[in-house]
Amino acid sequence: MSSTFLIRLIRLFTTLIFQVLVFNNIHLFGYITPLVIGYMLVCFHHNTSRTGLLVWGFVTGILFDIFSNTAGMASAACTLMAMLQPTILNLFAPRDASEDFTPSFLSMGFFNYLTYVLILMFLLHGVFYLLDAFTLVEWSLTIMAIFGGTILTTLIIIFIELLVRSKKRKK
Amino acid sequence: MRALIDLIIKNQHWFVFLLLETISLAFLFSYNGYQKSVYFTTANDVVGLTYDVISGITSHLHLEEENRELEATNENLRKQLHAIQQQMIAMQQDSTKRLPALSPQYDVVSAQVVNMTIHRPNNLITINKGEADGIHPEMGVVCSRGVVGIVYMTSRHYSIVMPILNTNSKISCRLHNSEHFGSLVWQRGDADIAYVTNIPRHAPVKVKEIVETNGFSDIFPAGLPIGIVQKIEDSSDGMAYMLRVKLFANFSTLREVSVITNYSSPERRVLEMMSENPEKQDSVLNSQEKRSDSIHVSTTGTNEKSVKNDTVR
Repeated sequence: MSSTFLIRLIRLFTTLIFQVLVFNNIHLFGYITPLVIGYMLVCFHHNTSRTGLLVWGFVTGILFDIFSNTAGMASAACTLMAMLQPTILNLFAPRDASEDFTPSFLSMGFFNYLTYVLILMFLLHGVFYLLDAFTLVEWSLTIMAIFGGTILTTLIIIFIELLVRSKKRKK
Repeated sequence: MRALIDLIIKNQHWFVFLLLETISLAFLFSYNGYQKSVYFTTANDVVGLTYDVISGITSHLHLEEENRELEATNENLRKQLHAIQQQMIAMQQDSTKRLPALSPQYDVVSAQVVNMTIHRPNNLITINKGEADGIHPEMGVVCSRGVVGIVYMTSRHYSIVMPILNTNSKISCRLHNSEHFGSLVWQRGDADIAYVTNIPRHAPVKVKEIVETNGFSDIFPAGLPIGIVQKIEDSSDGMAYMLRVKLFANFSTLREVSVITNYSSPERRVLEMMSENPEKQDSVLNSQEKRSDSIHVSTTGTNEKSVKNDTVR
């Protein structure tokens, strides 16, 4: 329990640092900024306590908000994502997997995992950028930011997964 | 009741979700845009420190580019500096701030000429500084090249200067080398020619000798340049020299002048006035008291005056 908590804490701060130092400085085409912070919530294993997951999501979001001057936007988005993560994970859970498997392309298969991450990232970016814009004026920009951010973040998360898992597999 | 508690516990994540979303939206609507609280923004100390450290690291990443920019800026500034230096050299010829002979202990007030005549017998100059700037009658006025005249009248924001080019003007002066002194007067005619009278015949005068203020009056400090001796003539009575002097100050283009504000000493002037004309002393004293912002009560003031009257008489 405590080791899981510690791993999550380390993962939270690692993603936060990378988000703040690196990804917050990416403005692809001027408006697409990946919210890699969502990787934190993608990693929660199946059958995590939903309440705990919500708190983790909220804390992740609020920390991001503090560093990005986006009070409330990311915390709202991350909380919603944490709320829906178990449901979406259930959709793509392989039948032969154990009750508390960790989502990855190893345990779920590449395509399932990709779809799972895409849906979650779409949720995150959708809520975040809609709250950010808070208007439907210039909706095309918002939609571009949502889709661009979703695709970019998904690619980054897949890349991170490949790096992490391939190392673990070698061990 | 138990069923209700069971229901809440079973669906507690919904309540937690609603709670957390409410908090998020509360943050969103209360802090965002207005940034009412610094604790949840980058103005927070911890976050600020983090960004300080980050910028300390990342600033090195752009050093090359920054160096190039700095060099370009330097080059640009150097060009500007050169241009300004050129302007300065040009302006020094008619700048009020550059008074080589004026030691720093004298305060000067810069003023601009707003009106002047040079072709009348009694020319006057109007400058745009007055009592509000600390200018009072009988203060010396100079320009960068030399002496201009003496303040004659003041209003709150303007002053009238009696320049050398006024037949009533009489400025005591001396020869730069021999220090023989005389008076500078102007006769109608050329705006750049004045005459020094009362130079004794035994004085070794040479053409092109510089005439300067002698510091006898309390208007100008000693050594301010006035003009250069152009021709040595005899005075009408033949008892002394009369030196034709080409003035340094170029009155026809005079624009910037400086008024020497703290050289004249009221005490000395009172003393001189009293010795010259005892009847005038009361009025002079009154004006002097006003000028020096004396806080004497009027009765004590009159007492002092009467004491002084007695001693003089």
